Amino acid sequence: MRDRRPLFLMTPALAWLTAFMVVPCLLILALAFFRRGLYGGIDYTLTWENIALVFDPLYAGIFLKSAWIAGLSALIAVILGYAAAYAIAAMPRRHQPLLLFFAVLPFWSNYLVRTYAWIVLLNREGLIVHLARLLGFEGELPRMLYTETAVVIGLVYNYLPFVILACYAPLSRLNPEVTEASRDLGASPWTTFRRVVLPMTVPGIATGFTFVFVLSIGNFVTPALLGGGQFQMIGNLVYAQFLTANDWPFGAALSIFLIAIMMGLLTLQTFASEKASGGRNA
Amino acid sequence: MRNAPLPLMLAILAGVFAFLYLPISVLVALSFNDGGLPTAWTGFSTKWYGALFANADIMGAALNTLIVAVISTILATLFGTLLAVGVEIRRRKGRFLETLIFAPMIIPDIVLAIALLSFFSLLGVTMGLHTIILAHVVFNLAFVCSVVRARLKTFDWSIVEASTDLGAPTFTTLRRVIIPVLSPAIIAGALLAFTLSVDEFVIAFFTAGAGRASTTLPMQIYAMIRFGVTPEINALATIVMGISVLALTLSQRLNRGGLPGQ
Amino acid sequence: MTLLSLLSLQKDFGKMRAVNGVSLDIAENEFFALLGASGSGKTTLLRMLAGFELPSAGQILLDGRDIAQTPPNKRPVNLMFQSYALFPHMSVAKNIAYGLEMEKLPKSEITSRVGEILETIQLSALANRKPDQLSGGQRQRVALARALVKRPRLLLLDEPLGALDKKLRGEMQLELKRIQADFGITFIVVTHDQEEALVMADRIAILKDGALLQVGTPHDIYEHPTSRFAADFIGVMNFFPVHCDGGALRTGKGTLIRATIPDGLTGAAVAAVRPERLRLEVTGCDNILTGRVMALAYHGLDLLLHVETPLAPQPVTIRLTADQAEAHALSPGDPVTLGWSARDTRVFAA
Repeated sequence: MRDRRPLFLMTPALAWLTAFMVVPCLLILALAFFRRGLYGGIDYTLTWENIALVFDPLYAGIFLKSAWIAGLSALIAVILGYAAAYAIAAMPRRHQPLLLFFAVLPFWSNYLVRTYAWIVLLNREGLIVHLARLLGFEGELPRMLYTETAVVIGLVYNYLPFVILACYAPLSRLNPEVTEASRDLGASPWTTFRRVVLPMTVPGIATGFTFVFVLSIGNFVTPALLGGGQFQMIGNLVYAQFLTANDWPFGAALSIFLIAIMMGLLTLQTFASEKASGGRNA
Repeated sequence: MRNAPLPLMLAILAGVFAFLYLPISVLVALSFNDGGLPTAWTGFSTKWYGALFANADIMGAALNTLIVAVISTILATLFGTLLAVGVEIRRRKGRFLETLIFAPMIIPDIVLAIALLSFFSLLGVTMGLHTIILAHVVFNLAFVCSVVRARLKTFDWSIVEASTDLGAPTFTTLRRVIIPVLSPAIIAGALLAFTLSVDEFVIAFFTAGAGRASTTLPMQIYAMIRFGVTPEINALATIVMGISVLALTLSQRLNRGGLPGQ
Repeated sequence: MTLLSLLSLQKDFGKMRAVNGVSLDIAENEFFALLGASGSGKTTLLRMLAGFELPSAGQILLDGRDIAQTPPNKRPVNLMFQSYALFPHMSVAKNIAYGLEMEKLPKSEITSRVGEILETIQLSALANRKPDQLSGGQRQRVALARALVKRPRLLLLDEPLGALDKKLRGEMQLELKRIQADFGITFIVVTHDQEEALVMADRIAILKDGALLQVGTPHDIYEHPTSRFAADFIGVMNFFPVHCDGGALRTGKGTLIRATIPDGLTGAAVAAVRPERLRLEVTGCDNILTGRVMALAYHGLDLLLHVETPLAPQPVTIRLTADQAEAHALSPGDPVTLGWSARDTRVFAA
């Protein structure tokens, strides 16, 4: 009875996703194997050149740099986010939804605006420098804006709410009697945390880390605004291939690696979640 | 977790909330600063808001954003809801299907952006607001679908059978039972989609085509940040944040206390 | 008069056969119970009657007409769902009116019929409440009213009392019987609770592995189970492993057990006797047994005595009235002698 209706209901959405996501992505996959045309177009001869070029030390270096920045941002965001989620979960139950709501709220304000806020703070004529002066700091402050640190701060700031949300979910589901049982059996609070709470909340950590890493490594807005073009990340490189260098096939090849990294991480994350839940969600 | 040391927990929360809210609070404060500069408070003023509304470029961009957000939200809500119901009444859970539905939410925006740019260019489609709308529906429908599906997880399907058992044909059941029970989630999903669309920059930037005619608000903000910051941007930022926060608050409200018996 | 006939009804889910060749006649006005453990196929059978599953083979004749392929919304059959399936966004009155609206009845008739049934279930005062503002018992009655108001030929009830607490369950068992008699509608109840089936039903069908094991009145089923499974499933039963040889039953220790032996039974078998058929005054008993008291368990009016005997691996259970128990003043460890008559012994193949 129920067997034909779902298909009918799903058709518009699936058709849309196919036309405007699957097909364009397949197109990118195909583009990566063609040659760049003389005047920026596409020369339809098959080649491995674009893929090989990704491994060129220059571009591989940018990949590594991006991965480093994304990984660092993800790590910091996970530490801060887990601590915040843990603290929220430790508050009285009735206050938790509101605290969580306010933790996530900034996430839904405009990304550019949130990034811009850091320009205002870190600027050479910005608020932090100004405050330091007011507090009597005389010397020259190190440059803060247009540095790697600024990019990491911006990424952590932008994605932290999501990490809090991801970590809170398993923490709030944790049965308090389980931790009490651990204490009852003689474990210290720290041992209880390390051997009971932490393993049970790995899925949230994995989700949070993956999310921040994936969004950071492909990001071009934050490096462009807070990094000020001082260094490139993959996102900026892809951007350049399509909008300035006009080398679409190479841009496509870079995107494929971006997707490959993302899929690899997601697989790891699924694995981590399944392992933590004893494989029951498999 | 009740035995966690309370002062430490409060200190962590205070620190994280300060980190989250200080930067955006500064923007809001600056938007009312007469001098417009972060270095000195020269008095309360709404003049930057006045300047904002007098700026034809910004107002044009705001109108474009509204057009894109409204149309893409309507389409995404319709498709996303049907998709959610379809997926949930299907008994078999296909991994491929799940991936397809999940993909728009996690695919790096730059990848979808350049994929659509290449796709539209090679097809010879003139890009503009319509192509932004087509693109925004892709991820918006996935988000609507996920919100509605979350509601369907706790949905008692036996009420659908009860409706049939009491003599209702399929369409009547959809109209009188399924949609009313899901409506808080559907509206919450729509508000979420609207917010995402209003804020979306990267994909719009790549699929807008050339010319000012299809500039959206985030594109305008990006341009303003990159090429000459004027204090108007603080006012604009405040308004844009306000709209998003309002939509999210509403969406949360609806999805939580909305229906009895959840 | 026969209302419903099931002819060799069968349902397969892939390789799994959920219902296997069920044939059954149910009379007009009957209160019928389908009793079985989870996985016995009773719910699948019920869902085929309601129309939510199509039979893989066989017929469902209602008033002589095959309705096996009729969609659920076109059958004069209604189902009271286990979860009650009340529409959460509609008031009690709206819930009840829903089925009548589907029949496109005039507004005035709908109003009067809803009012009437609200009287019957004594919920008139709560007509405008939403389901989440009702207690479990009230929700159960709304679900019943919503199905009943359509005056179906056949009302199906899926574990109707399953969600209620024990005390309320007892009250509702009688209430359901009263309502069934008042409305003169055939009820088919699916339940896993044998006590519920014994109390409410005119007839019971025991289902096991998708097939009918035994159909009969509660008395038949309780006193004359035709299989070891049925004997074990309904009520409490003491079993003794025996060997049947030349018309005599002997336990492993060689003790003779007197009973009526079913024709053709030889080899390994079990003898069975109900706890209330065992006696402490053994004069005149055909079978006598000695043992040691293991435990006494009070159940209010009566008392269950668990006795360790050499004849059975499990302790033997005897039901005594409080008076009898007092008269014997038994305590754990005391030796006891038990007896019962051959007439009360049932014998099954092992």
